[in-house]
Amino acid sequence: MKKIKFFLMALAAISLSAGFMACSNDDDVSNWQKYQDAVTQNVKSNKKQNKAILLVAFGSTWQQAYDAFDGTVSAYKQQFPAYDVFLSFSSAICINRAAAGENVDPRNFYAPNFWLNAFAQEGVRYDEIVVQSLQVIPGEEYTRVINYIKDFANNSNGDLDDEYLSKVVLKLGVPLLQDADKDVPEVAKQLNALYKTQAAEGAVAFMGHGNPDSYDTYKANVRYTQLEEALQTYSKNYFVGTVDMMGNFKTNVLQRMQDAGVTSGKVYCHPLMSIDGDHGHNDMAGDDDAWDNGYEPNEEGEVEETSWKKYFSRMGYVCNNETMIEKGLLELPTVRNVWMQHTKDAIAGEALDYYHSKNPEE
Amino acid sequence: MKTNLCVAQRTMVVFLACMCLVLPSSAQDTLQTNRLEEVVVTGTGTQHRLKDVPVQTEVITRRELEQYGGRSIEDILSGLTASFAFSEDDMGSQMQMNGLGNSYILILIDGKRLHGDNGGQNDLGLIDPARIERIEIVKGAASALYGSDAIAGVINIITRKYDRDGLLLENTTRGGSYGDLRQHNSVGFAIGKFSSLTNFQLQHSNGWQNTTIEDPHQTEFLITDSRNMTVNRYTNWQVAERLTYTPASNWELYAEGSIYRKRIYRPSGKYAAVDVKTYDLQYRNASVSAGAKWQASDKAVVTLDIDWNRHAYYYVFTDTTLVDGYDPYGNFTHYFPYFPGQSNLQSDQRRTMGHLKGIFDLPAKNRLSAGLEVRHDWLKAPMRVDNGGTVTDDTEALYVQDEWMPNWTNSRAHDKNILQLTGGLRLDRNRQFGLHLTPKLSAMVKPTSWLNLRAAWSQGFKTPTPKEQHYRYVREMSGTYLYLGNTDLRPQTSNYGSVSAEVNIGGFSLSVTGYINKVKDMIALNTIPNYRAPEEYQTQYELHKTRQYQNLEDARTIGVDVNVRYTVKDFAFGGSYTYLDTEAHQYDSDHERMTEVVIDGMAHHKANWFATWNHRFRCPYRLGLGLYGRASSERYYQINGNGKPYHLWRLSSTHDILCRAIQSHGLTLRVEAGVDNIFNYVDRTPHGLHLGTTSPGTTVYASLTIRFNQGKAQFKSFKTNSKINSNEED
Repeated sequence: MKKIKFFLMALAAISLSAGFMACSNDDDVSNWQKYQDAVTQNVKSNKKQNKAILLVAFGSTWQQAYDAFDGTVSAYKQQFPAYDVFLSFSSAICINRAAAGENVDPRNFYAPNFWLNAFAQEGVRYDEIVVQSLQVIPGEEYTRVINYIKDFANNSNGDLDDEYLSKVVLKLGVPLLQDADKDVPEVAKQLNALYKTQAAEGAVAFMGHGNPDSYDTYKANVRYTQLEEALQTYSKNYFVGTVDMMGNFKTNVLQRMQDAGVTSGKVYCHPLMSIDGDHGHNDMAGDDDAWDNGYEPNEEGEVEETSWKKYFSRMGYVCNNETMIEKGLLELPTVRNVWMQHTKDAIAGEALDYYHSKNPEE
Repeated sequence: MKTNLCVAQRTMVVFLACMCLVLPSSAQDTLQTNRLEEVVVTGTGTQHRLKDVPVQTEVITRRELEQYGGRSIEDILSGLTASFAFSEDDMGSQMQMNGLGNSYILILIDGKRLHGDNGGQNDLGLIDPARIERIEIVKGAASALYGSDAIAGVINIITRKYDRDGLLLENTTRGGSYGDLRQHNSVGFAIGKFSSLTNFQLQHSNGWQNTTIEDPHQTEFLITDSRNMTVNRYTNWQVAERLTYTPASNWELYAEGSIYRKRIYRPSGKYAAVDVKTYDLQYRNASVSAGAKWQASDKAVVTLDIDWNRHAYYYVFTDTTLVDGYDPYGNFTHYFPYFPGQSNLQSDQRRTMGHLKGIFDLPAKNRLSAGLEVRHDWLKAPMRVDNGGTVTDDTEALYVQDEWMPNWTNSRAHDKNILQLTGGLRLDRNRQFGLHLTPKLSAMVKPTSWLNLRAAWSQGFKTPTPKEQHYRYVREMSGTYLYLGNTDLRPQTSNYGSVSAEVNIGGFSLSVTGYINKVKDMIALNTIPNYRAPEEYQTQYELHKTRQYQNLEDARTIGVDVNVRYTVKDFAFGGSYTYLDTEAHQYDSDHERMTEVVIDGMAHHKANWFATWNHRFRCPYRLGLGLYGRASSERYYQINGNGKPYHLWRLSSTHDILCRAIQSHGLTLRVEAGVDNIFNYVDRTPHGLHLGTTSPGTTVYASLTIRFNQGKAQFKSFKTNSKINSNEED
């Protein structure tokens, strides 16, 4: 037995030395630098002002979402003429897909760290950088945006110019529903202004994303509940549910509808997300049917494998393609203005002090 | 369902019509007799004639392979037996054998396991169709020798060996529609006790696109100009070398190695959500093996084989792509960039095996096979496996098998009243799952010279593979699909039972086999709620669906295989039909109940049929013509729709130039040409949904074989079953 093992090991050793091993990748440094250089070049060639706004979104591969992002960048450029405006995705797959493709102009929605590093390179070096989160709630994704800024400001990798970092003015624009007292009523007001006709006809159910329970780091999920309360001050027909927030799935929305006496009639569905992408088209308006599992809730209380459209229709409401409002929040100028107000507030407010908090002697 | 019946009915009508035409004839046929004399090895690991092999074995002979002119192993198996179903996609061939998928099918090349899989699919491009001598198929985990993990069965591909003195030069070049190109080249020579055989093969296809429409349910608007291919363009090549040294008449030593590369090209379209691709796929394989065979006496043979195999899977980037990796500062990042032309390792599977085996003739007409198998698996997938990206597994097995032929005589004048019993035990020890014993029993009775009755019962045992346990990956197909391994998986066990009757009268043969295969704790990919995915993935990806390997509570396949064949003079007719039913249950903990689960790709009815004519003309020329058909009823899937039923027909021709002037110089000239899918059936189901068949419609092919063979054939005959042959595994 030992001999066999020895023989096996000897054979494996010979095989390895025969050159069948994959070559190790020496591209780590050069690839990273080459990519960063491309981002820097992009910024250099688009730099017109001394100040920059970086919009940060999760990203999407849907055309409707691209249009929404394009519209947002245009609106920002118009509203903030003293700033260069850039858009960043945090999803690598979305970045890859948007930049590639045959016979289409590449959309360079680089990751936040590459944009920020480019902003600090010689020949760019913006005096002021405003990072605007395009998230809806101050949850997990927003935390990551903050971390990108911290890594940048603290020069975590030691590859940026400390002198520049000690001087650059960094600002952070908060998510749509950051402030429960200010933002939530404002968004409710704008949404009601847009959908009061529908709310008069039937239920209007907004579908937010939400964080899974253990990822609800900052308890940001509560904003959905608060928004529903705020909307219900206008009409009892408004509801806000989510895809991922425990206790606020479509099943819970149904329960609240029934408790409120809304047991029949139309149910309008609307994504409560910055863009209308995969979730809006599949989780909200998809045609998958949970008939196989009898529409029974799982242990978390959600009915899987079906959309809001199919679910509410199955539960006896009029919910069909006509009652699907396929719009992302960035497509609603009056709601988008809330994000833009946050950018204005950030610009008017105090600069972030991540660098000096870590390097007090400077 | 109606359509299924229609296909089945049509199939049977054609089938019966063929039989009615030929059954009245009573002519003797040498081809058929020769076929039954074919020597097979897979069921027991020892040589038997097909007509009296104790374990039911399906054979595709070299003659049938040549007549059919298959372009690939997928084409051959789906065209010549009804037991297989294939669906090709990005990653390889999704194969099914009597309802069970790739991971339950043991594919052997000359008795050695094919290595490596992607997404549970084997890359069958490793098999050079032009090298195949014959294919043997044994259903169920019937053999103690090859491992009990062959829960669906074993396909043993026997390749042609160079067993002549002197020199062999051979080239087969085949071209066909959609840029199909196949090259096979062999150079063999023998000098004294030393011989060498070098093979090179190349396979290429431009791929094809049956539809430019994407499934509208998975896209935001109707896309009619998708670039997604039905079968992607690919090129693969392989160089293999085998050296043999025969120091004495009872000793043979060999060493062999191969290198293989495959690239699958993925065109990019303009819809980011649907058909934009930023990398091609590449496989890099290598193998080294060495072994010895010692004929200790005419009653004992001992063999030792040591194999090392590598199957590595890379992305080859066609556009700038960010992937998971480590930045130059050593931090994990989702944004490590790669540029066109660069490649990145996704997984590297390496397997080292040692196999010591002895076959001994014992008193009282017993023949004992015993062996020890040692196996080490190593999987490296830097970004797809936790714990540093590497996992290993170790398995050892001890087996014994006894073949008892109580009334066997060497001079079997009438070939009747024969009983053969084969019993085997295999003891597997897996590092994680411990010991497991699996018994196997098979019996053959020949009450008369024209009737064989067989029965078999075997248990199977298959431990979860490192990939099934630890591997995870994301696939973009009109939405992000997350595939997850599962470290809580339990081993699978199976019970396979079959009974069969085979009639051989003159040129007529008919076999009917009924089987049941019950798999406990079957491991299958199942769709799970996205919230069950690790939360880092929920946050990182907008998941469309999450699928995970899970143990099903129970699964069973039950079916009937019918094979019929009739040969008269220059004609041969035949076909096969298989009925299959599957049932699988999974415990749904959310709803606390058992739910029925579809075994992906299952079809109730499948059939093949053929009619061939071979004639040697007075002028030095032999012509072969063949008409082939195959059909399948609807194939069922858990998600993305069912595959439509289909039937496809094929016309083949073979042309051998038998001119004396050519033959006396050791030359062979052969032309094959044909038309596949002659009624131009194309399944144009929108992309993103399952197809019944990926056939592109009517295609043509032609091939030329030139072989130069100088030297005398070495005589290697089949010895009677009471003696041990020196070439048990062919």
